[in-house]
Amino acid sequence: MSGVTFDLAPGACLVVAGPSGSGKSTLARAIAGLVPWAAPGRLDGDLRLDGHPVASTDPAALVARIGVVFQDPSSQLVMERVEDDVAFGLEGRGWLPPAMRARVPIALAEAGLAGFERRRTARLSGGEQQRLALAGAFAPHPGLLVLDEPTANLDPQGALAFAERLAVLRETRETTIVLVEHRADLAWPLADLVLALAADGTPLALGTPADLLAGHRPALVAAGIWLPDEPMSPLPAASGPGGSGRRGEPPPADGSRPPVAEARDVDFAFERGIPVLSGLDLAIEPGARVALLGPNGSGKSTAARLLVGLLRPTRGMVRVAGRDPARIAPRDLARLAGYVTQDPERSFLAGTVEADLLLGLTPDERGRAGDVAAALGLPLDRFGARNPFTLSGGEQRRLSLASQLVRRPGLLVLDEPTFGQDRRGYEGLLSLVHARVEAGTAVVAATHDLRFAADLGGRCVRLAAGRIAEDGHVAEDAP
Amino acid sequence: MIAIPTRADRVAASPLGRANPLATLSVALAWLLALSTTTDLRPPLLVTAAAVAAALALGRVPLADLARGLAPLWLAALSVGFFNALLSPANADPTATVVLAFGPIQLTEPALAAGLALGLRVVAIVAVGVAWGRVTDPTHLTDALVQQGRLPERFAYGALAALQAIPWLAEDLVALREARRMRGLRASWHPRVLVGLLVLAIRRGDRLAVAMDARGFAAPGRTRYRDVRWAALDTLVVAAGIAVLAGIVALR
Repeated sequence: MSGVTFDLAPGACLVVAGPSGSGKSTLARAIAGLVPWAAPGRLDGDLRLDGHPVASTDPAALVARIGVVFQDPSSQLVMERVEDDVAFGLEGRGWLPPAMRARVPIALAEAGLAGFERRRTARLSGGEQQRLALAGAFAPHPGLLVLDEPTANLDPQGALAFAERLAVLRETRETTIVLVEHRADLAWPLADLVLALAADGTPLALGTPADLLAGHRPALVAAGIWLPDEPMSPLPAASGPGGSGRRGEPPPADGSRPPVAEARDVDFAFERGIPVLSGLDLAIEPGARVALLGPNGSGKSTAARLLVGLLRPTRGMVRVAGRDPARIAPRDLARLAGYVTQDPERSFLAGTVEADLLLGLTPDERGRAGDVAAALGLPLDRFGARNPFTLSGGEQRRLSLASQLVRRPGLLVLDEPTFGQDRRGYEGLLSLVHARVEAGTAVVAATHDLRFAADLGGRCVRLAAGRIAEDGHVAEDAP
Repeated sequence: MIAIPTRADRVAASPLGRANPLATLSVALAWLLALSTTTDLRPPLLVTAAAVAAALALGRVPLADLARGLAPLWLAALSVGFFNALLSPANADPTATVVLAFGPIQLTEPALAAGLALGLRVVAIVAVGVAWGRVTDPTHLTDALVQQGRLPERFAYGALAALQAIPWLAEDLVALREARRMRGLRASWHPRVLVGLLVLAIRRGDRLAVAMDARGFAAPGRTRYRDVRWAALDTLVVAAGIAVLAGIVALR
């Protein structure tokens, strides 16, 4: 990241937009006053917070005025219990105990976590952890709030509620907000200023949202930045025209070809007595496009992992290409069903991008690996020697997708494939998925991204509390 | 949302839950130390009974919780006792009374007694540990270690945060093994999986450290949300614990 200049008035809201790998998170850390003493990096130029140059101010004094929420809420919760975690930031800023005891419940209630005081942080869902991280950052009344992709783990409803909360905060004009967010539809309406970064980390444009949309639209689109006013294909209604629509009823099979994967009356529980899925009936036809929707904790990821044989059902049966996945050799199973995890960092098994991509491939597959990577914006001549962990979040996601696509499995299951993707990554993903569907691959995507569900343009299966609540098709005449 | 008191809340409000964890810890350590000085059968039985009774009555630990914590113990105690009896040199003593003979294998009375004594001590040690673990809240313990034990804050709270990362480590392992299966490889204990586990743990630790600093952990003038003191209750807990121990030793 280089050459960034901006002035932010107290109480204003700056939205930082840019393609994957443009240094948005780095900028957020620098603005939060954490570089270089707490986070790695070198800071040149003049960064002032409240008029004080960051380089010569005591870090402790800086941090006392700033609240930060990073990506990945699970790795920023410190204490064992919710109330202690909120208090942790207050202790560091020297609050007195009575003031802390009064402030903690209020901060929790404001974040939508009233009554959670004694809960264990490790037992919270992803969405609840995100809310707790926000409560902790906001509790000390920071003068500046820095938020890095705060809606990452939230379902659409949670993301909307979060945006509304930020809007309330902005109205009071007591807190300056720096918001890094791909979801332009949520973030831009809150912005006084938008800073757009180019892929190389240099500033592309800076101005009010209206100025940017009026004056820089082509440049922003070319850089792969999402804009707030883009139309979205409509999603199917509860039972759209042409959909089977009946609750829990799989769409009729044509009978000529067996499903690539199917679950019959499947129950699944990680712990006895706490069911994640109950009575799941789902058949994936060859070449089908299926969006698996549902709120946080509804069992989407679990259903996805069952369909590719990574988990075995507690009750009922799962078939991949008509066979019990537990009886298929791993090397064959990986060519029948591919799975791209929600958390790409946990799927890397080699020290370089190229080695990770080539792991376990046949010579034929090795031959086309370079093309697959290039189509996903990861040409091996540029990315091949890099360590997968140094890639940006969006790039990591595309790498883990490439390593599955290259095997050309008959079924491809994607868990939150679009999170953190800029426009170019999204479009590359979508066109590859459609190309695979043309070639006969069935694609199942567990996603919060309603835009992707609509663009996928197939069947929508909505889960609620471990059961199928809706199963319908996108209307054929949808734009 | 209404806050419903959980089992953990009830334990925290109990006399042993409210006591300074360092007080209960010193009693538990004294009991364990005394066990190591005796080979009799009775003291471990009495210590076990005292630990279970204290956890149930004074710590309000639900019986089911305690039983679950103690479950693996029976098997461990049985096998320790059995194998020590079986392999004891006393079995070769021709003057000893044979209790059980099976072909060339025979169990003599002194060997059985020695095995029983060892098994019972395992029971007692685990019972004291489980009982203390169930009445002690990790946050409370950390606060006490910092405030009375003079442990450095950075170390103590870092350790508390690391403790919570253990479930994440288990999830990382599952994910990495799944990643191998999705490449058509066996989900074995491949060295690369272990390297990956280490990399993920270090990265998580890094992020946590930055998050702690961002929340003012390094700042001077840190205050305390929970003030842990040494109160009359704590002196009472220690005195009662020592008195029980003295009684057990005297009964021997």
